[in-house]
Amino acid sequence: MSIELDFGAILIEWPQLLKGVGWTLFLTLSSTVIGVSVGSFFSWIQWQKKSIGIHVVSLYVESIRNTPFIIQLFFIFFGLPSLGIKLSAEWASVVAMSINLGAYSTEIIRAGVEAIDRGQIEAAYTLALSRAQTFKRVILPQAYKKIWPSLVSQIIIVMLGSSVCGQVSTEELSYAANLIQSRNFRAFEAFIIAATIYLALCILLRSVLNRLGQRYLFGTRRG
Amino acid sequence: MSDKPLTSEIVIEAKGLKKFFGSKSVLKGIDLTVFQSEVVAIIGRSGSGKSTLLRCLNGLEAFQEGSVRINGAELKTNNAQTLRALRQQIGMIFQSFNLFPHLSVGENLMLAPHLVHKKTKNELSTQAINLLKRVGLEEKFHAFPDELSGGQQQRVAIARALAMGPSILLCDEITSALDPELVSEVLQVVESLAQEGMTLLMVTHEMNFAKKVSHRVIFMHEGRVHEEGSSIDLFTNPKTTELKQFLSSI
Ligand SMILES: Nc1ncnc2c1ncn2[C@@H]1O[C@H](COP(=O)(O)OP(=O)(O)OP(=O)(O)O)[C@@H](O)[C@H]1O
Ligand SMILES: [Mg+2]
Repeated sequence: MSIELDFGAILIEWPQLLKGVGWTLFLTLSSTVIGVSVGSFFSWIQWQKKSIGIHVVSLYVESIRNTPFIIQLFFIFFGLPSLGIKLSAEWASVVAMSINLGAYSTEIIRAGVEAIDRGQIEAAYTLALSRAQTFKRVILPQAYKKIWPSLVSQIIIVMLGSSVCGQVSTEELSYAANLIQSRNFRAFEAFIIAATIYLALCILLRSVLNRLGQRYLFGTRRG
Repeated sequence: MSDKPLTSEIVIEAKGLKKFFGSKSVLKGIDLTVFQSEVVAIIGRSGSGKSTLLRCLNGLEAFQEGSVRINGAELKTNNAQTLRALRQQIGMIFQSFNLFPHLSVGENLMLAPHLVHKKTKNELSTQAINLLKRVGLEEKFHAFPDELSGGQQQRVAIARALAMGPSILLCDEITSALDPELVSEVLQVVESLAQEGMTLLMVTHEMNFAKKVSHRVIFMHEGRVHEEGSSIDLFTNPKTTELKQFLSSI
């Protein structure tokens, strides 16, 4: 049995693919910014060691980490309207991905925060820094540095997970590939190309994030 | 050096200080008075409570009984605002340096004055350079802590504490983590501070240094001030058997 491959039939639909790449990147970047901010804020709450804060945060973290992403997305897109909260497919996707990354990054950042030497905190207090200043200026930068590789991996996972958002008709990359193959029945080629693009995006994103880490977390050394 | 300081203003006053870790009693009623520009050395066996005493004086540890006054103001460990005001007057240097590894030397010196005193960048960098000169490290402004020797790191830590303009410095075995050949460069800086009139309260195992620069020596034993006196008296004529034993053991 031989199959005749026609990648041209897919590539001719490049505007749809490009749009898909654009949405995938937009979803990833916006949820990274929001999710990592949420994670940083919640790890600050946990660091306060107030029991109510710890309980609220761990309820959030555990409910997200122990449910499938697609259910979280469906809940936000199909479920919340019954409470009168109606989001477009795109915004529902951003919110779901941000909430998802927020939970995982809370855990990741917390591990980094806990690994900071007690002496660092005492030095900061001794210099009359407040708790908030100590967390933001002394603990968090060092914690990011420690956990940056795990955080980058989690961001990559979230980017790959964004392919689920096509299910609510956000026109990201996998939605585009699916749309194209449904028009010309070239499923094999469409998904090979989509996979190749995802692979390239992962490599690109990882190297950009690693470089950002080098630049801003690992010291701006001259010479 | 053993001339008593000229002023007699009390800058640290602890009364009946008691500290427990759980049910373990670590400070069993400490009375301590330190005058302005006085250099006081604290000596004693491991576990006698020397570090805990210092840490109670700047609120790093809460204590259960007694009171502490710094420059007349009562230390309250449950009031963040007053605690921070007090910590601007009382600096602390640690055995393990505790420089911020993600910041350059200059940034280490400027972080706290920037956040706490809200000074401008220009003022701050001039001040930082002057402080680095004072500890002999002005060329290290852009270096990172892990590029420095232990002795250099500790001198930066001293400069960082001075950047907040404290009138008192607490030093907890600040040369214990250093290679022997690096000890003297740090002690020289401390000695120059003493000569300039800084009030110093230092826990030390460097007995020769304590003899040389301190006006007064406090011997702690099992959570109490067991014996105290001028450095000459205490070292040449110890009264209690515990101090005699301690001095002969080192
Ligand atoms: N955070 C803590 N929790 C429980 N016990 C502690 C704590 N810190 C100190 N201790 C105990 O308090 C006692 C006094 O400790 P401290 O560190 O003040 O002694 P030290 O005189 O400074 O000793 P060293 O010369 O070894 O530094 C010790 O028995 C120590 O085990
Ligand atoms: Mg100690």
